[in-house]
Amino acid sequence: MGVGVGVRMNSVAVGLSRDLAPKRVMRAVAYGHDLAVWRDGENGLHAWDNRCPHRGMRLSHGFVRGDRLACLYHGWQYRKDGGCAYIPAHPGLEPPETIRAQTYSVIEKSGVIWVSTGNDAQGVDTGPVSEPLRSLTFFCAEAIARAAFEDTPFAGNLPQVESTGRLVAGGHPVAVLANPVTESETLIHVLTSAGVGIAAKKALSRWCEAARSVAERQAA
Amino acid sequence: MTFKLYNYVLSGNCYKIRLMAALLDVAYETIAVDFYPGFEHRSPGILALNPAGTLPVLTSGDMVLTETQAMLTWLALTYDVTGTWYPVDDPERLATITEWLGFAGRLSQSAGLARLHDMLNWPADEKAVKAAAISDLRTLELHLNDRVLEGGLWIAGDGPTIADIACFPYTALSPDAGLEHDGYPAIRNWLYAVRALPGFVAMPGIHYLHDLKETSGD
Repeated sequence: MGVGVGVRMNSVAVGLSRDLAPKRVMRAVAYGHDLAVWRDGENGLHAWDNRCPHRGMRLSHGFVRGDRLACLYHGWQYRKDGGCAYIPAHPGLEPPETIRAQTYSVIEKSGVIWVSTGNDAQGVDTGPVSEPLRSLTFFCAEAIARAAFEDTPFAGNLPQVESTGRLVAGGHPVAVLANPVTESETLIHVLTSAGVGIAAKKALSRWCEAARSVAERQAA
Repeated sequence: MTFKLYNYVLSGNCYKIRLMAALLDVAYETIAVDFYPGFEHRSPGILALNPAGTLPVLTSGDMVLTETQAMLTWLALTYDVTGTWYPVDDPERLATITEWLGFAGRLSQSAGLARLHDMLNWPADEKAVKAAAISDLRTLELHLNDRVLEGGLWIAGDGPTIADIACFPYTALSPDAGLEHDGYPAIRNWLYAVRALPGFVAMPGIHYLHDLKETSGD
């Protein structure tokens, strides 16, 4: 079992902190909601409904300027609180307060970005196993993806399952986090510990791919 | 005159050459070929130049090149005064670049063909070609994530090479075939880095980074 199984969570892991640089935006899914997750110039993190209030364009196609997210379509700019700050076609207009992007609660913990559809996002504390390895999509349900990691040998041996729910593969501690994007697609995030060397990390990355093959064969 | 490019604006392979030339700041002549709906690439004039009937075609003097990856090597060796885009003095790095030039050819036949199928109703086994495209995107993601684990970013070594340019267009354009980049964070960050290169040029489906331009905003 991976971390978080059996724990009642109000938040879901949408990405690794490492993979979202300042002034960048990415698309994510949390509990069926399509989101734009972005960092402002001061490294602050934001998760919004992925829909510009103007014409419905995905804000994840947009771009960050300073502390604002701008829509790619007509350039409408939104402040960190979601309120519209500037409309290029009406440069003299003070945009009404009612023009707002819908915001979600988002935090970073254990090197992972967590989003809640409520107002208090929480993350799982993975302790020392918070070194980012990679994120990857499995075309299968969450339960099949999680189980595949336990069923996939690393260097000839099945991983051990610890009481914390973490795995140990080839002596390397591993935490597997899962975000069910749909019933047939799961985004997996894999963490290890900081002491693991680059060669071992690459081997773990290939073990993740082997687990994906196991899972997708089972789901097919 | 530097060279002539027989060009179709929506072709990812033609775009590789336009992009490389822009990054090297080389001026050239384009000859527009009506690939669709005119099928001009199969006209006698083009077939006389390239019996395979593929685009792009690059000519310079008496030289005629019909393979995109060969054009990239010629461009770099001819016009790159820095010698960094195709570093011939480093055997291991050069071999890695050549590996990914081969991969770029396969990517044209998977993600590239999937895009032609969805965009222009090109004949293809849709299920097979999209499965192959996903497999190729996963191969690239694995490699680019390795590079991140090594503290790197580019396909081969510490800076961009023709391997990055060869792999860029059909990866960037895969959403045209419904293959989004959301589950491929290393690819996403690499695509951004290519688009941030000085001299970068856009094509339909691959736009400029507005974030890098300073403009108005109250």
